[in-house]
Amino acid sequence: MADQTHAPVSPRDPKKTYGLAELVRGKAPSSARPPEETVFSWPDLVYVEFLAMLFATVVLIVLPLLSGAPLEESASADTTPNPMKAPWYFLGLQELLVFFDPWLAGVVLPGLIIVGLMVVPYIDINPKGIGQYNYTERKFAVWTFCFGLALWYIFIVVGVYLRGLDWQWYWPWDNWSLHKEASSVSLIDLEVIMAQKFGMAQTTANLLTYLITGAFYAIGFTIPFLFFRKFYEALGFVRYNLMMFFFMTMMLVPFKVMIRLVFNIKYMLITPFFKI
Amino acid sequence: MSATPVGPDHDAQQRLKAQEMSRRRFFALVGWGGFLASMGGAAFGSFRFMFPEVLYEPPTVFKIGKPTDYGMGVTDTLKKERQIWVVRNEKGLYVLVAICRHLGCTPNWFQDQQRFRCPCHGSIYDIAGNVRGGPAPRTLWRAAVSLDPVDGQVVVNFIQRQDPDPKSTAEGLTVAEEGREVAPFFVKT
Amino acid sequence: MTGLIEKLRQQIVSTQVWRSIFRHGYPDTDLNRALVMFSNVILHLHPVRVKRGALKIRYTWCLGGLTFFMFIILTITGVFLMFYYVPDTRRAYNDIKDLQYVVYFGNLMRDMHRWAAHAMVFLVWLHMTRVFLTGAYKPPREFNWIVGVMLLVLTLILSWTGYLLPWDQLALWAITVGSKMAEATPVIGVSGPFGLQMGMRPDNDIRFMLLGGTVVGQSALLRFYVLHCVGLPLLAGVFMAVHFWRIRKDGFSGPL
Repeated sequence: MADQTHAPVSPRDPKKTYGLAELVRGKAPSSARPPEETVFSWPDLVYVEFLAMLFATVVLIVLPLLSGAPLEESASADTTPNPMKAPWYFLGLQELLVFFDPWLAGVVLPGLIIVGLMVVPYIDINPKGIGQYNYTERKFAVWTFCFGLALWYIFIVVGVYLRGLDWQWYWPWDNWSLHKEASSVSLIDLEVIMAQKFGMAQTTANLLTYLITGAFYAIGFTIPFLFFRKFYEALGFVRYNLMMFFFMTMMLVPFKVMIRLVFNIKYMLITPFFKI
Repeated sequence: MSATPVGPDHDAQQRLKAQEMSRRRFFALVGWGGFLASMGGAAFGSFRFMFPEVLYEPPTVFKIGKPTDYGMGVTDTLKKERQIWVVRNEKGLYVLVAICRHLGCTPNWFQDQQRFRCPCHGSIYDIAGNVRGGPAPRTLWRAAVSLDPVDGQVVVNFIQRQDPDPKSTAEGLTVAEEGREVAPFFVKT
Repeated sequence: MTGLIEKLRQQIVSTQVWRSIFRHGYPDTDLNRALVMFSNVILHLHPVRVKRGALKIRYTWCLGGLTFFMFIILTITGVFLMFYYVPDTRRAYNDIKDLQYVVYFGNLMRDMHRWAAHAMVFLVWLHMTRVFLTGAYKPPREFNWIVGVMLLVLTLILSWTGYLLPWDQLALWAITVGSKMAEATPVIGVSGPFGLQMGMRPDNDIRFMLLGGTVVGQSALLRFYVLHCVGLPLLAGVFMAVHFWRIRKDGFSGPL
């Protein structure tokens, strides 16, 4: 097959010897630094890992001695335990179910959390703070993440430690075996409240609730755009809107919780297809 | 073909040739098409596979005895076995499905409060199934009931359920009682 | 005596069998320390040399490694549990009782499985928090963060499917509520928005597919068992392989 008449691509110098070198695109992470800055994985890294595993194993043998895995009565479809609690890591979502309809609390919000987490590296374009605990140069990112994390953990703690019979609020010093009287205040939709307070037709009030929900997002989207122009310009149109959508949806959760707790509002927006 | 083509005939042939698919492209299309079709078929097959055709679940139509067995108010005894409450008012009988409309837990009946309360997320219903509190988005289902013409027993169809759109009021989500007390969801006795 | 032992050791080490398994001496020279990473498939997860910063406990807190270790513990204890467990609604609960009260060390295996599962979920969260706070998801490691999120989801689903298997009240109702949420999925769930308009019924929607029935019953138990013991661990294994591979390719993020 080889065409002997071709001149060699790189002519060989008969006085030299040649070896085969491999070329790799990109920069090798450890080649940027002198080898003195690195150590052999064996023994330094392997020993640390070994100790960590040993420690974890000891903990995993001690913990069952302190508290075993629970086993309740055999499953029966006709008696629901009271209160019925999901595994602790889902109790945050179960707590959300008090404030939102199942499709939102159980499907859409968890889905948005997952997708939101996935897009984090693509909307956080701040090149600072790689490989170090750095707060001062990425305040917004750290605050936003910690806020979401705090929400998640607070809902879990409430679900695990403060919800008792009938999913009512029980303080640790309350009697947890006594049913609490159902609260006399009943929950009302925002549009019903508006219709009663301002004497407008229910349909007008309904339209206004659309406006309020829209305004919640609109104001959130506009404030950084107007007052932190640099922030907007650094992100660009697509990234900015993506980021703000997830940010405002995250803010919608405590917002809804707040208006529920303060004004006893059941739904803030009622459409023919779904309710928020 | 062997003669040198000239004239409009030649142009037409050239044009045809340009539209013609090359052998390589044809096989690429067939190959990719076949590959994608078989992947799609496999995906659909595995998807369909997960939907069982036969269910081994309890019967959905069952008899619960004579109407006279049930006194005024809520009868709580069938909840364990059949997941229903039988309710009698001045006009007759209806059957509430003991499944919370929020997330499917089994609520409990509190005679003193005259309320059904769900242990999962605290939904509260009144004796008619209207929502009086908690996160439930709709009123309790009522199952279809009829009288067996032969032995006069009440026949419950657990699957056929009444589920009218509730109205949001200051008391909670309610449905007008007149519209609900109709056949086949109500037995006049 | 020591001379004899040393001679015996030399004899064993120089046999063809030994040398076919271990290709180099004890890793106490630079060459052997490199060779041990090349020739051992498990150690090959590591590079030959790491940055000094990678050893700083107060940077990584060993969280990712410990999460993987929990997965290994769960696999081992899980396999032991499978020897005595039958995913049958009439038997499952009693099998767990047997494991707890009859089988030697059955209790320990079950408790360790449970604790390791809790620990794994929590460690994944902590690991994710650490990675965020150290900016370790930034270029060129964006894709590995996505793989990590997938692993988080898989961990939660793994834990959740395992929750049903004891077939006690806790199990049944946690899954009932969880699967009702699936029913509320928009468009493909019967009680979700647009579900009825799309022709969804309790016996053809997404929850039905998940449970293999309209109630949490035998087919749901079997499905969760298969997913918990085979399907999801395999999937998680694939994602973990990619996760570790990307760490090796992109390098360790930490300080020097």
